[in-house]
Amino acid sequence: MPHGDISSTPTSEPVGKSVRRVDVYEKVTGAAIFTDDIQFGPGLYHGRLIRSTHAHAHIVRIDVSPALEVPGVKAVVTGRDVSTRIGMYLIDRPIFAGERVRYFGEPIGAVIATSEEIAEKAARLVEVEYDDLPAVFGPMEALQPDAPLLHPDLGEYRVANFIFPQPGTNVSEHFKLRKGDVESAWPKCAAIVEGTFYLPQIQHVPLEPHVSVALWEKSGQVTLWTSTQSPHAQRDLIAQSLDIPHGNLRVVSPYVGGGFGGKAGVTMEACAVVMARAVKGHPVKLRMTREEEFVGTTMRQSLVAHTKIGCDTEGNLLAMETEYYFGGGAYNDYGVNIARAAGYSCTGPYSIPNVKGDSRSVYTNLPIGGPMRGFGMPEIHWGIEQIMDQLAEKIELDPAEFRRRNCVKTDDTILTGMKMPAIDLVACIDKVAEAIGLGEKEAPSAPHKRRGKGIAIMWKAPAMPPNPGSSAVVRFNEDATLNVEIGAQELGQGSFTIAAQVAAEALGVPYEWVRVVTPVDTKYSPYEWQTVASRITWAMGNAVKAAAEDARRQILEIVADHWDEDIDDLDIKDGQVISYKSEREQPLKNMVIYGLPNENFEGWKGGPIIGRGKFMPTYVTNLDFETGQGPRAVVHYTVGAQAVDLEVDTETGQIEVLKIASAYDVGKAINPDLVLAQIEGGAVHGMSSAFEALRFDEAGRPLNRSLVDYRIVTSVDVPKEIHGDFVETPLEDGPWGARGVGEHVMVQTAPAIANAINNALGIRFTDLPLSAEKIFLALEKHD
Amino acid sequence: MHMPNPGLTEFDYVKPTSLAEASRLLAEHSDEACPFMGGTDAFVRIRDGFISPQTMVDVKHLPGMRDILYDERTGLMIGAAATMNVVARHPEIQDHYTLLAEAANSVASYQVRNRATIGGNLCNGSPAADTAPATLVLGGRMVLYGPDGEREVPAEAFFLGPGKTAVQAGELMTAIRFPVPPAGSGGKYLKLGRNKIGDLSIVGVAIFGFPDGAAPSGYRFRVALASVAPVPLRALAAEDVLAANSPGEETFTLAAEKAAEAATPIDDVRASAAYRKSMVRNLTLRGLRDVWGQLQNT
Amino acid sequence: MAIHSITVTVNGLKEHLDVPSNMTLLQMLREKLVLTGTKNGCMAGECGACTVLMNGEPTNSCMVLAVEADGAEVITVEGLAHDDQLNPLQEAFAEHNAVQCGFCTSGMLISAHALLERNPHPTEEEVKEAMVGNLCRCTGYLRIIQAVETAAKKGGA
Repeated sequence: MPHGDISSTPTSEPVGKSVRRVDVYEKVTGAAIFTDDIQFGPGLYHGRLIRSTHAHAHIVRIDVSPALEVPGVKAVVTGRDVSTRIGMYLIDRPIFAGERVRYFGEPIGAVIATSEEIAEKAARLVEVEYDDLPAVFGPMEALQPDAPLLHPDLGEYRVANFIFPQPGTNVSEHFKLRKGDVESAWPKCAAIVEGTFYLPQIQHVPLEPHVSVALWEKSGQVTLWTSTQSPHAQRDLIAQSLDIPHGNLRVVSPYVGGGFGGKAGVTMEACAVVMARAVKGHPVKLRMTREEEFVGTTMRQSLVAHTKIGCDTEGNLLAMETEYYFGGGAYNDYGVNIARAAGYSCTGPYSIPNVKGDSRSVYTNLPIGGPMRGFGMPEIHWGIEQIMDQLAEKIELDPAEFRRRNCVKTDDTILTGMKMPAIDLVACIDKVAEAIGLGEKEAPSAPHKRRGKGIAIMWKAPAMPPNPGSSAVVRFNEDATLNVEIGAQELGQGSFTIAAQVAAEALGVPYEWVRVVTPVDTKYSPYEWQTVASRITWAMGNAVKAAAEDARRQILEIVADHWDEDIDDLDIKDGQVISYKSEREQPLKNMVIYGLPNENFEGWKGGPIIGRGKFMPTYVTNLDFETGQGPRAVVHYTVGAQAVDLEVDTETGQIEVLKIASAYDVGKAINPDLVLAQIEGGAVHGMSSAFEALRFDEAGRPLNRSLVDYRIVTSVDVPKEIHGDFVETPLEDGPWGARGVGEHVMVQTAPAIANAINNALGIRFTDLPLSAEKIFLALEKHD
Repeated sequence: MHMPNPGLTEFDYVKPTSLAEASRLLAEHSDEACPFMGGTDAFVRIRDGFISPQTMVDVKHLPGMRDILYDERTGLMIGAAATMNVVARHPEIQDHYTLLAEAANSVASYQVRNRATIGGNLCNGSPAADTAPATLVLGGRMVLYGPDGEREVPAEAFFLGPGKTAVQAGELMTAIRFPVPPAGSGGKYLKLGRNKIGDLSIVGVAIFGFPDGAAPSGYRFRVALASVAPVPLRALAAEDVLAANSPGEETFTLAAEKAAEAATPIDDVRASAAYRKSMVRNLTLRGLRDVWGQLQNT
Repeated sequence: MAIHSITVTVNGLKEHLDVPSNMTLLQMLREKLVLTGTKNGCMAGECGACTVLMNGEPTNSCMVLAVEADGAEVITVEGLAHDDQLNPLQEAFAEHNAVQCGFCTSGMLISAHALLERNPHPTEEEVKEAMVGNLCRCTGYLRIIQAVETAAKKGGA
């Protein structure tokens, strides 16, 4: 039955219980509304983008007149109509390309028409003349002194004060980490290993493609309906870019059919708003095809990593020197923060006394690099977790033991100089090592197969500006059911359910009484920075808890006064105020709106109860530009371990993952089954990421921009067993100690797989993807 | 190099009521009319802009197109519009032409197999067509209906190049005929994709074997390959090795090498030529072992 | 372009519609009948988010022309629950947390429903194979497979 159905059995104190999701009834009946499902009536126009067919070129001429002739076309816009740029941390991206294009598929204009079909037909008639510029497709290439400059005006772009682009180069961010003295440490090392690791761009592949509908009214009110993780951030960025007062721009976002970071910040939504401005009074829908997802949204950045590590005779890590070169794509407005986050976490979850790290994002003429689940952590752990395995092997330590010895522990001083908050990574290592039987050599299922096991650990902090805020409101109805207003988004991870559980517990009402107000709508929903960074359970949770406690306090004050009792003797349980002293009871019903009458009805007290709460971390500091040191780089870290048991078919190179064991320290599992669901989904997503790759030809054109040739894991490919577990070391400022886990669960799966392959074959693969072909051909060479 | 269309481009859907009418429509509009079967390939090509038909001529419902008839004396006739699922689960095909059922069942997903047809699969002329190797080794003959009536083309003469078949303007495939399989035969279709199942083939190998006193080895094998040449093809040199030498690991290994030599694959986004050649060898070897096991059990 | 007058039974109701030749069944369901539970994930027959039952068979509605549905019976996810009660599959999906973002769910339910109708006691392998044409990025599939097995045990489709 639907959440809150009157016949459902009420659940008290739901925190820590695996209560049913609040949104599941809608989703299994097909009733859940996603952006493309919203009905706009016959006045809806449709838009299609005109996309560049060159990777790097000046736009010499655009002739839109053939498009305007097509019956049904209402307007055509190009980069000549809007020269403003937009961006998250570095404002480097034109909404429509003006004088030059920087990647194949970059929007240079758009057609608005009465149907999508007509808009597409007309878009193909637009004549564009390009003058090719030399292009670069990899970060190393783009760093060469003679490389073409993708952003000659880099020095003029507005940029956050913690990001450091290098004008005159293709470097959009350079983060430096200097701790101790690596040069003096190398001679003290008993074993040193060096390696270079590479991974290509991959895409999020949310089942729901990006879609936006924008309406620019003649009054100046602008509404954007869109599938986004970031309604408030989109409002902010688009408002600033297009000079719309924030109060005039409304962003409405219903359920999101998968985000994974790809629907964070601003991707194609600004295009829809500019298009709407050309046809004021008519909503305009802009939908990405699946193929456009692979070209014109955002991708995970590619990475070239050079890393060197060394340890003493006992296997204690002494030094790390590492260089990260992220292939950021044509625009790095969000990607710069990924390079930064990779920089201040560059050691991975290890305590290393001497560290020299340089992390750079570099412009390339490829699709825009942006946030994807893990935000730089999967990218860097690919190399880190393999090189750690290599060093463990060299010093003859078991890989789990090496990690137990060297992993970060509570109160360790980590690479930026901050103290590691309380976590238990060793417990996670122990759990997965046992679940997989690490160290126990097991026989493969056939003579032509080889079996291996591998382990990898991870850490990640929410990568945010220092002041990301959350806020919440709780508002009662007459029957004491409760509305919780939040700005956090439901991407599938269960945020709405967590909000309901937190509100119910903090107030003292049954879980089933709580309604989460949807859709998130910046006109009505309280501010939430973004639903990213695995921050929502922690940050939104704190805000909802505060709002519920605010409401609770107001209720108790009224009833304490009404009963003439001490507020400390009162509590709210199962929707009733109770007194531990007098054992009196006062149901919340009606009183939360109408208040309570005084004796003999001589007046009333109370009135409509509205609770408000907010949460914003206040303790994050900037870091020194030269050393990356600072008192508090990040709010906290979530840590975890994964182990993989797999077989390799030596006749085809195909991998069969038999089992993945995962364990994460989540602080407090507010909904244990939802945590396990994230762990399972993440393990499969992580596994898939080891086999995925976007491919381009020598002119930077995409080669596998469809699901036919961009393959993801299917139901038949999944491991036979996924063993998920969690540890609960409370987070100091988490609601009931809770920390996020949504991204962490896929961070280290690819290197765990690589380590298992190495265990099986004695071959180390330093470059993703781990295609069957690559493995087979390497085996042929090896044997 | 445009991005694909968000939907299908404009065309007229027509549903002729007779083969003659269908043939006439296809002949008259040969440049811009497309016989419309399951659409699982056609729709993708239309969106990608590879084809832009003005007329989609639905032929699925025409007499005989969905029929499957088996006679133990004359063999099997499968209507060209039989879907992959229908072929895969047909009891007579499962019993007597197991290899073909396997091949049909290996296409994409259950949903796609409810639409994809064996005729469409063959007429697209893709070297990757999953039912092509099975059709080659089982001695299939394509029945074509055109302006001059009906004619048959043996499978070996049907595939002319990537995307090119023996179907002429105004013709459509109405059925595929298979002879009665030799007594004691066995077959296997092995397909390698990037996922365990559900993908296009990077390499497809069909092996068909049966006792034949006239062959020095006492057995005849037919080996056909998909996705490793401009057309699906029989690996004749491999077949000769298998006819001449007694079955066993050594013969099979040699035959597998010959099969790999017969393959002329290209490098593309799905796989490299080198890998494909090795996979032809390894899958042929696996297939031969499997079919040999079947032959010994009958 | 030709327009065709068709009669198609959708979720038990007879609908009389005029559809252009190039309209897909998916578009017809979403745009003409406002049955938005069936989703557009790829328009290429790869993701399965558009799966519906057509004459009892799970079919990617993006790969069928609307005009071909003339005379056909189509069931969408909206037609699975009876009198607002979830069917055993839907209930199992909810119970197992086999739903996260929900975008693949409609297609998964239709494919699973069809599987249980033709094979009431599938093995785990058979369930996985039946669902291979339905992609999911959130759940990792295992709970979906468990939900189908649970529904099968309860004798429901």
